[in-house]
Amino acid sequence: MKEATSGTLYWVQTLLKIAIFLSITGAAVSSRLFSVIRFESIIHEFDPWFNFRATKYLVEHGFYKFLNWFDDRTWYPLGRVTGGTLYPGLMTSSAAIWHLLKKVGLPVDIRNICVLFAPAFSGVTAYATYKLTSEIKDSGAGLLAAGFIAIAPGYISRSVAGSYDNEAIAITLLMVTFMFWIKAMKTGSIMHSTFAALFYFYMVSAWGGYVFITNLIPLHVFVLLLMGRYSNKLYASYTTWYAIGTLASMQIPFVGFLPIRSNDHMAALGVFGLIQIVAFGSFIKSQVSWEKFQTVMFVSLAFLLVLGVSGLFLLTYFGYIAPWTGRFYSLWDTNYAKIHIPIIASVSEHQPTAWPAFFFDTQFLIWLFPAGVFLLFLELKDEHVFVIAYSVLCSYFAGVMVRLMLTLTPIICVCAAVAVSKLFDAYLDFSFVFQKSKNGARKFDKDAIFTTITRTLVSGTFVAYLFLFVYHCTWVTSNAYSSPSVVLPSRNPDGSPALIDDFREAYYWLRMNTAEDAKVASWWDYGYQIGGMADRTTLVDNNTWNNTHIAIVGKAMSSPEDKAYEILQAHDVDYVLVIFGGLIGFSGDDINKFLWMVRISEGIWPDEIKERNYFTPSGEYRVDAAASQTMKNALMYKLSYHEFPTLFGQQEGIDRVRGQTIRAEDVGDLDYFEEVFTSENWIVRLYKLKDRDTLGRDLKSASQFDRAAARGTKRRVSKRPQLELRV
Amino acid sequence: MKLNSAIRGLVACLLFVCSTCEASIAKVSPSSSKRTLIIYDKKITDLRAYSDYFENLAQLELDLEFVSVVNDTKDIELFDKGVKLYSNVVLFPLRSRKISKDVTAETLIRFSAAGGNVLAITSPQSSTEAVRTYLNELGIYPSPKGYQLSDHFQSRQDGTLQLDEKSIRSNEVISADGNALLYNGSAALLKNSELLFPVLRAPKTSFTKSSRDEGEWTTGTQGFLAAGFQSLKNARAAWVGSESFFSNAFYEVNAKAVMDITKWAFLEKGVIRSLGASHSHRDGSTYNEEPYKIKDDIIYTIGLSEWRDGSWKPFNSDDVQLEIKMIDPYYRVTLNPSNATEEVQFYTSGEIKLPDHHGVFSFITDYKRNGYSFVFEKDVKAIRHLANDEYPRSWEISNSWVYLTSIFAVGLSWMLFVFFYLTSRPKSLAMPEKKMQ
Repeated sequence: MKEATSGTLYWVQTLLKIAIFLSITGAAVSSRLFSVIRFESIIHEFDPWFNFRATKYLVEHGFYKFLNWFDDRTWYPLGRVTGGTLYPGLMTSSAAIWHLLKKVGLPVDIRNICVLFAPAFSGVTAYATYKLTSEIKDSGAGLLAAGFIAIAPGYISRSVAGSYDNEAIAITLLMVTFMFWIKAMKTGSIMHSTFAALFYFYMVSAWGGYVFITNLIPLHVFVLLLMGRYSNKLYASYTTWYAIGTLASMQIPFVGFLPIRSNDHMAALGVFGLIQIVAFGSFIKSQVSWEKFQTVMFVSLAFLLVLGVSGLFLLTYFGYIAPWTGRFYSLWDTNYAKIHIPIIASVSEHQPTAWPAFFFDTQFLIWLFPAGVFLLFLELKDEHVFVIAYSVLCSYFAGVMVRLMLTLTPIICVCAAVAVSKLFDAYLDFSFVFQKSKNGARKFDKDAIFTTITRTLVSGTFVAYLFLFVYHCTWVTSNAYSSPSVVLPSRNPDGSPALIDDFREAYYWLRMNTAEDAKVASWWDYGYQIGGMADRTTLVDNNTWNNTHIAIVGKAMSSPEDKAYEILQAHDVDYVLVIFGGLIGFSGDDINKFLWMVRISEGIWPDEIKERNYFTPSGEYRVDAAASQTMKNALMYKLSYHEFPTLFGQQEGIDRVRGQTIRAEDVGDLDYFEEVFTSENWIVRLYKLKDRDTLGRDLKSASQFDRAAARGTKRRVSKRPQLELRV
Repeated sequence: MKLNSAIRGLVACLLFVCSTCEASIAKVSPSSSKRTLIIYDKKITDLRAYSDYFENLAQLELDLEFVSVVNDTKDIELFDKGVKLYSNVVLFPLRSRKISKDVTAETLIRFSAAGGNVLAITSPQSSTEAVRTYLNELGIYPSPKGYQLSDHFQSRQDGTLQLDEKSIRSNEVISADGNALLYNGSAALLKNSELLFPVLRAPKTSFTKSSRDEGEWTTGTQGFLAAGFQSLKNARAAWVGSESFFSNAFYEVNAKAVMDITKWAFLEKGVIRSLGASHSHRDGSTYNEEPYKIKDDIIYTIGLSEWRDGSWKPFNSDDVQLEIKMIDPYYRVTLNPSNATEEVQFYTSGEIKLPDHHGVFSFITDYKRNGYSFVFEKDVKAIRHLANDEYPRSWEISNSWVYLTSIFAVGLSWMLFVFFYLTSRPKSLAMPEKKMQ
C-alpha cells in the first residue's frame, strides 16, 4: 500500500486506519469475553488467583507495604517474602488503572479490572504489532499482523477475560519493546532506544520471560556484527539500551543482581563488551592500513576469546556467576528436567508441544510463517535479521515447551502478515484493468483476461483462508480457551449444559467453617486457589520456590497414615484437601498427579520413598485390587477412596477416570483423619487431622479399640504383656 | 474495615470478660464439681472397714454417692445424654465380671477422655473385665485374679509387706515422711507411656505369683503397686493394687499416703495453671502494635500458680522453658523467676533477641512433669524480614566508602573532561602542522 503524505488521500487513509483499528480492537476484546458470557466474571485457573490476591493487597495497603510484604499465610511455617519474590508489574498496572478510574469518578471493583485486564491490553498489543510490522515491511502488512494477533488463539489462550496472569501484559510489552528497538536500531536514535529500555524495564517488572528480550536483542546485534554490518547507529542504540535497561531492571527486588551474576544474562553483557571492541576496531581501521589492522585484529580477537571463555568458566566455578537455571537446561535437553528436577517436569505447561498444537493455535498462519521468513531473507535488511533470529529461536523453544507457544505466536503473525501482504501486493493489484492504453482506448487483450482470472483466483483463495481463519479462531477461543477451570462445563443426561462448581463449593465451605488461622495441606497446584478463594493458610503453593517443602507434602501424601500424621502434625496442619475425580470422571485429579508427588519426595528421601513400590509387580500404575500394598497404604489413596465403594451400595466402586474397580477392603479404615467435607461431585474432599488421643494411645489402636467396642467384641487378654523394662 | 475491627474489638472484650469469669470460678477450686461416685461390691467390701478413709474424704467437701454392684440393681450411669454426671469415680474391687450393663471399659475411657477422674482399686480377689481393659488402655497391667505380691524376706503370715521410703517413686504425689507403709495386695506392670508414672514400687526382693503354679507376673522392682496417669487434657486416673491399703486396719500408718493419692487423683494436689503467657517488645509495645521483625529484642513472661491446701499459691520451679520454634526449635531458654504475687509466680525470659530468620514462629511453653498438671501455652506469630528502608544506608557502612569514592571520582572526572573538551581550543592540533612546514 502506498502511503500518501498529504491531501484528501491522506485523510481517507487515516480515517480508514482508525476504523480498521477500532474494529480490530473490538474483535480482540470481544472474542476474549466468551469466558465472561459463558460463565461469569471470575478469575481463572491458578496463578491468576495469586495475582488477584496480591493486587487486592496492593490496593488495600499501598505500595510500601506491598513492596515489603511478608506473607505468613502461605508456605507455612516458612512464610514467603512475597514483596521481594514477585514481578510487580501486573499488580501495579491494575492498581494504577484502579486509582485512575477512581480519580475520574469511576469507582470500579478491583476484581473487574483484573478480569478485564488482559482483553484491554490485547488491543494495545495489536497496535504495537502494527507498528512493528510497519517497520519491517509497510503499514499494509502491519494492519494484517494486527488483525492476526488480535484473534490468534495462541495468544488468546493466555489473555481471555479472567486470565489475570503476567503473560497478559508481558506480550504487549514484548511487542512494544521490540517495536522501539527496531526503530532505535534503524535510526540510531537515543530517544527510541531509551524508550526500548524503559519498556524493557516494564517488561522485567512484569514477567520472568524478560530473559527472552535480554538474549534476543544481543543475539540480533551479534548476528549483525558477524555479518559485518556494524554502524554507529547500532552502537548508539545498543549501548544506550543495555546501560539503561540493565540498571533499571536491577531495581526490581526479585531481579536484583541477576543481570550481572546469572548466566542467563551474560550474553547481553558479552555483546556489550564486544561492541566496544568492534567500535574500537573500526576506529583503528579508519586510522591504520589494512595489513596492520588484520594482524592486530587476529591477535586481539584470539586473546579476547581465550580471556572471555576462561573468565566465564572461572567465575562460574567459584560461584560468582550463578550457573544456568534448571528451566534453561530443560530448554536444550527435554529429558533433563524429568531426570533432575521433577518439579519442573511435573508442570504440564513444561511438556514438549504436540504437533497439532501449532495448527490449533495459529491455523493457516503456521504454513505462511516459513514463507514470510523466506521473503524476509530475500531482502535481509538489518531489521529483517531481527525477525529471522526471533523466528528461529522461538520455533525451537515452542517445540520444547508448550508454554512458549505464546512467545512464538506474535512473530508467526508478523511473518505471515508479511507473506500475505506481499502476495496481495502482487495479486490484489487490478489497476492495470483501469489503465488506458496509449491510444486512449481500454485494452482488453488475452493477457489481461488471464491475469485478471489468476489474480482473482489467488486473492479469492486467500480471502477465503482469512475467512476460515476467523472462524477457526472464534471456534477455538469459545471451545478450548474460555473455561475458567475453576468452574467446569458439563452436560446433563438430557444434553443441556450444566456447570460443575465443586471447587468453589469446597473453598467456600473452608472459608465459612474453619478457624481463620487453620492450616490446609494440599498438593501445590491448589495453593493459590485456597489462599485466594478460601483465605486459609497453605503449606505449599504454585510459587514452588522451596522444593523441599513441596517434597514434605509429597512425602506425607505418599506415606502410610501414621507417618503422614506425624509429618502433618509437625507442620501444625489442621486440614488436608484432596482432589478426586473418580466419581465424575475428572481426569486432572490427585491420583493422576500422585506419581509426581512420589518422585519429588523421592528426590529428597530416596531411602524412604521409592517410586517402584507404587507400581504393580508388572510395572503398571493401578488403583484396584492389583495395586501394590504401598500404594494402598499411601495417604493419598486412602483419602481419595475413603468410603467410595459404599457409594455404590456394594463392596465395590468404579473409578471412572482410571476405569478400575475399587474394593472396600483395599481402602481400609481411616484412623488418623476424619472426613469433614466432600463436595457435590466428590471432586474436592476435605479431611481433618484428629486430635491426639488424650489417653496417649496412638490413634490407630484407639480407633481399633472403639471399633471393637462398637461391635461388642470382648477381648479377654489376661496373658502377661511383653513390655520394655521401666527404669 | 472499621466496622470489622470494631466487631473484633467487641468479641475480644467479651472473650476477656468470659475468661475473667472463668478465672474467678477457677479461683475456688480446680475441679468444678465435687460429685463423686463410689462403686463397690457388697459381697467383698464392707464399707465399715473403710470408715476412717471416708471420713477423711468427707473433709475434702466431696459429694459422695455409694453404689454397690449387685446383679439386680439399677444401672449405674456415668453420663446423662452425653454429659458427664460425676467429676470423680472410685472403683473398689468387684467380684462380678461386669460393672453394670452400661458401664463398660469403653464408658470408662469416655469418662476419662471427657475429663473425669478415676481412682481404681484392684485386689487379688477382683477380676472385673471392664476395669482391667480400661487400665490396660492406660498402660497399667494389674496381675490377674489370684496373684499375690509376696516377699520371703519379710515374714508376715498374711502377706502384708512393709514399704520403705525407696518404694515411693513420686514425691509429687506422696511426700515421704520416713515411715514405712503397709501393703497387702497385687502388683502391676507398667507400660513406658509418657502420661503414666509409678507412685509405689514393689520391694527389690518381692514377686507376684499365683497360688496355682503359673509363673511370676512381676518380679522385684519391675512390679508396681500404685500408679498415676494424667491425660493430655489433665484428667487424672490413679490405680492402687490393694484394697486393704485404704482400710481402717492399716489406716493409722497409711493415712497420709492414702489421702495424698486420693487428693492427687481428684485434682486437689499437684495442680498448676498458667496465667497466660505473654510476650512483647523490649519497650513493652505488643505484637499487634508493631509486628516483630528479625533480631528484635523481646521479653516473654508466664505466670504459674499451684493449687495447694485449698488455695492458689505461687508455683516455684527452676525448669520452666520457652521454646521459639519453626518446625525445629531455634531457641530453648530456661525462664527465670521474676516477681511474685500472693497467687502467682511469674517467670521471665529477660531480653532475648529473635532469630535472624524470617518465618512463622511458635512461642511455646510446654511444661510436662510427672505429678503436675500439664501446662501448654502456644502462640504463633510471624517474624518478618527487614523492609527495604530498614537496612543501613550505604554511607553508614565503612566498606562502601571505597566504592562511593570511585563513583564520585568517575562522575567528577567525566564532568571535568566535558568541561575541558568544550572549552579547550584545537591549538595543539594546529601546532604540528606548522612544524611540518
